[in-house]
Order: sequence, then structure tokens, then C-alpha cells
Amino acid sequence: MIHTVLADDEVLARQKLRQLLRDEPGIEIVGEGTTASETIDLVLATKPQLLFLDIQMPGMDGFDIASELCSNKVVPAPHIIFTTAHDQYALRAFEIHAVDYLLKPFTRERLSSAVERARKEILLVDQRPAGNSSIGQNGGRYTARIVFKSRGRIVFLPVSDIRWISAEENYVRICTGAETHLLRETMTHLEEKLDPEMFLRVHRSSIVNLQHVKEVRTEGDGDYAVVLINGEKLTMSRGYRSRINEWLTHS
Amino acid sequence: MLGMLFALQEWVSLHSWNNHIYITFRLLMEAWCVHYFLWGVISWLLWWRLRRQIQQATFLSIMTRFLPLSVAVSVLEEMTWVAFFPQLPLGLPRMTYWHRVVFHLDAELVDNLVIFWSVFLLIRGIGYYQLYRETQYAAVQLETQFANAQLRALRMQLNPHFLFNTMNSISSLMQTDIPAADKMLEQLSSLLRITLERGEVQLVPLSDEMEFIEMYLAMQDRRFAGRVLQEISVESDLYDALVPAMLLQPVIENAYTHGLSKLDRDGLIVVDVRRQNAMLMISVINNGPGLHPDSLNNGVRRGVGLANVRDRLRLHYGSEQAFTIEEVARGKVQVTIALPLQFSERPTGKLTGYGV
Repeated sequence: MIHTVLADDEVLARQKLRQLLRDEPGIEIVGEGTTASETIDLVLATKPQLLFLDIQMPGMDGFDIASELCSNKVVPAPHIIFTTAHDQYALRAFEIHAVDYLLKPFTRERLSSAVERARKEILLVDQRPAGNSSIGQNGGRYTARIVFKSRGRIVFLPVSDIRWISAEENYVRICTGAETHLLRETMTHLEEKLDPEMFLRVHRSSIVNLQHVKEVRTEGDGDYAVVLINGEKLTMSRGYRSRINEWLTHS
Repeated sequence: MLGMLFALQEWVSLHSWNNHIYITFRLLMEAWCVHYFLWGVISWLLWWRLRRQIQQATFLSIMTRFLPLSVAVSVLEEMTWVAFFPQLPLGLPRMTYWHRVVFHLDAELVDNLVIFWSVFLLIRGIGYYQLYRETQYAAVQLETQFANAQLRALRMQLNPHFLFNTMNSISSLMQTDIPAADKMLEQLSSLLRITLERGEVQLVPLSDEMEFIEMYLAMQDRRFAGRVLQEISVESDLYDALVPAMLLQPVIENAYTHGLSKLDRDGLIVVDVRRQNAMLMISVINNGPGLHPDSLNNGVRRGVGLANVRDRLRLHYGSEQAFTIEEVARGKVQVTIALPLQFSERPTGKLTGYGV
């Protein structure tokens, strides 16, 4: 069971969370806070693993609460999912390693995906020796998540969810299973951020997530194509072929 | 008027002057008054007949027309004046008319020329002042127009028609399909959030506009439950091109209300953005019942939405833009917008962050 605390000064906001979380397996609500100090006391008393935190609360704001909880050495800081009507704090939330950032109003699906992410992170922390929860799987050299705004939503995207990335001039298109996002970013910069063990550049204008690669196929005229598990096909230029061969022989 | 003023001024100055010199006050008064009255008449004639020419005169016409004119007018004025006062100059032997003219011209030609050119410059100055006021007025006018369009654009962003229809859909879904109502509410919130965030910004990168359009299309798709196939294609080097914010939403809404909503299946909407030389070409094609013959001639009948789009294009780009609506094939309506291709000088990267 994941012990969870809800913190929001609005009763209907808490009610919505409570109702939706009732259908999430493994989530147990151990308390609800309506002000900053109440929330801090509650967390210190109940030691929850997960905290749903509104940013604008009477007293201190959500970030003050978060830093107060992180600086406490006795009780381990809970994983935080922010719930707010404002999108301008997203980057800050991302920087303090929040699990997710839900913009109100959010749907059940959106909440579920946030809870799912929290489950994974909590599991990861449980497996690891106690202490540093902020270091990613690859020691922090490469990015594990990307934050951006897309279609009026804030997305905290784990890079493992990315299938492929394609270049569109000054933009890159990131494709996850369900949708694509257009970001103003360069391929080179993005490639530097991504773990080469996981991502491979197969073309001047495409990067593929190796976990989703099914095979490399020769096309008619001597070109190559990378075929993904879901059947999508990315063309591969010859210059990059040695790199994928290397990977194929390794795996 | 001008002449009388001059005469009055001279009278005042001469009145004090008169105390020292032995001269008939009446004669002096008359002489000066007639002199300036004549100039008053001349000034009035110049204003009345030649104002436009004076105000628009080029250097060439000043040299070829007004310079000779100034000399001629000065001489004529002096001749007329001399005719009125045969007794002047005082204290000299009697002279013939022509001798007197030459005598007075010798003394006063330069003064006359100065008066003529002062009047000339005054008229020209008034012209500049009027032009300045007119320009200022036009600028204020344009500003008001722009503000109005902005206001309308803003009203359009929160397009009440669209807003309330969507709310109605949500209200309806609430009874039957709660997750769908929830989803729609979330989408509506995202649209409003983007709209409010943009605030007063008039021009946005195409990537932002297309993102908004994708969201809007997603909502329409939900309302029309798969009856309409949506296709979007944008040339990838155009994402940073600037377009007026909320330009396309009314066009697409129009495509739905007048075309696609009349079909019960196989609807198709295509949004295509491409470059054509120095122009950005945006086209929206939809099928449906086609255009009404009378709506073609009278764009207003297609609703305020499109009229507003036209207005805003005109205000932003003047004559450098084009907006057309035509039936390209039977039951297939195409709206084409052409606007000058501009790129934002400092493309603002949206919030993007990397980390663990």
C-alpha cells in the first residue's frame, strides 16, 4: 500500500482526488491537509510515500512545503505530484524532482498515468538502499525525463516512453506510443542529452529508441530501414549503419 | 485680415515714430494703410487661388513660377500704390508717374519681396501644419481601428458561440459519459489557458497556432464522433513563421458549421501550410454542400468570423495579403490565405527542461 496525503485548500478539489484515487489499486489516503502547516504536520506524523500538493495554499506555497519536507532528516520526503491551475511553476516542480504536474482540471486518465509513474518511482526507491532518491538510473549524466508544454498541457516525459525523434528544421518531433509532440530543439542537443545505450541516431534527422527496434531491413536500392515493434519504419542512412551494426552484434 | 493686422501694427509703431519727425500724420497713415491693405488683398488672393500650388510647390516650380510671380506682384503692388499717392515722395520736385514708380521701387522692392515670400512661407507652413494634423488624426484613427480589431479578436478567442456550444456538449455528456465530459472539459481548459496566456500578442509562431488548431480539431473530432477525417500538413521550415494569433480557428469553425456539419459521413478537412516564394500560403479545404451562390458575392453572409479574419489580415499586412473562398470542385470549398512570410527575430523556445 502506498500511503498518500492530499493537500489542497479547496474541499471540492480534495473530493475529486479522493474519488478518483479510490479506484487506483494500492493507494491509501492517510490524511488530508488544508493549509501549509497542517500538511507539514500531517506528513511528519503519517510519513506518507506520496503527496498530492496544491501550489497555492494559505500560509506557504507548495514549494515551501516541499523544501521544508526535504530538509527534514527524520522523515523521508514523500514523492510529490503537484496539482495546480497554473502552468508557470512546471519547470520549478520538475527541478525539485516532482513525479508529475497535473493541471486542473485533469482527467482520470491523466491522474492514472501520474499515479503509475509514482508507483514506479516508489518501487525503485524501495529497491535501492535508503537515501538518495534523486539520482537517476544512469548516474545523472544523461537525462531521464524531459519537461515541456504541449497542447496546453505540461508533460513530464520519461525518455523511455519515447519511440523515435525526428528533425523538422528548428524543431524536433517526439513520438511516444500515443501521440507526438513538437519541440523547439535541435537534434544534436537532444542527442547529447540522451543515453547512447538507449537511443541511437540512425539518420541525420532521426533518433530511435533501441528498446522499440524490431529489426534492420535492407531496402531495394541498398538503403536500410529500421523497423519498430509496432511496424513503423524509419529510414537509415549508410553513414549511421556501422553504429547500428555495432549495437546489433552487442545485443 | 492679414493686411489690416499689418496696418494696425504699423500704425502703432508709427504713432510713436510720428512724434519726432515732421510729417502729416494723416498722409502717413493713409500711405501705410493702403500699402498693407494692398498686401492684404494680395495675400488673400494667394490663399484663395494658389494655396494648393504653394503648398505642393517643388523647388523647380518655385524657381520658375513663384520667383517671377513674386517680382511681378511686388512691382504691380508698388505701381498701384504710387497711383494712389501722386504727392509722394515729399520734399522732392514733381516727377512723372513712371519716375515715381522707379523711385519707390528702388526703395521698396526688396521689402515687397520679403512680404511676398513671408506670405508664401506662411501659407506653406499652414499646409505643413494641416498635413501634420491630418497624419496624426489618421494615426489615431488607425490605432483605434487596430484596437477594435484586437478587441474583436480577443472576443473571438473566447468565441462565445464556440464556448457555450462546448459547454453544452459537456453538460450533455455529463449525464451519459462522464469520462468523455471530463476529457472535453480538460481540452476546453487547455484551449482557454493558451488563449489567456497569449493575452494581447497579435503575431505568434505558426507552431503555436498549429498546436492550438490541433487541439481545436481534437475537440471538434469529439463532437463529430469520427464523421470527419482531419489532415494537417505543414512544411517543417515554416514553424517559426509569424501568423496572426487565432487566424485559423474561425476558418475551421466555418468549415464545420457551413460544410462538414451538413454531412453524416465521409467528411474531410485538410489544413495545408506551404511556402510560395516570399508568401506563406495557408489553405483549408472541406467538403460539404458547397457554397451558396449568394454567399460568394457577399462574404458577410458567411458570418462575422471570416469578416474578422479578413479585417485582421488587412490591418496587419495592408494590400500584401489575400483571402479567397471558392468552390474548387463540386461540394468542395477552399479558403486560401496568403500573407507575407515573416519570421520572429528571436524565436522564444518554449519551456523545455531536462533532468532526472
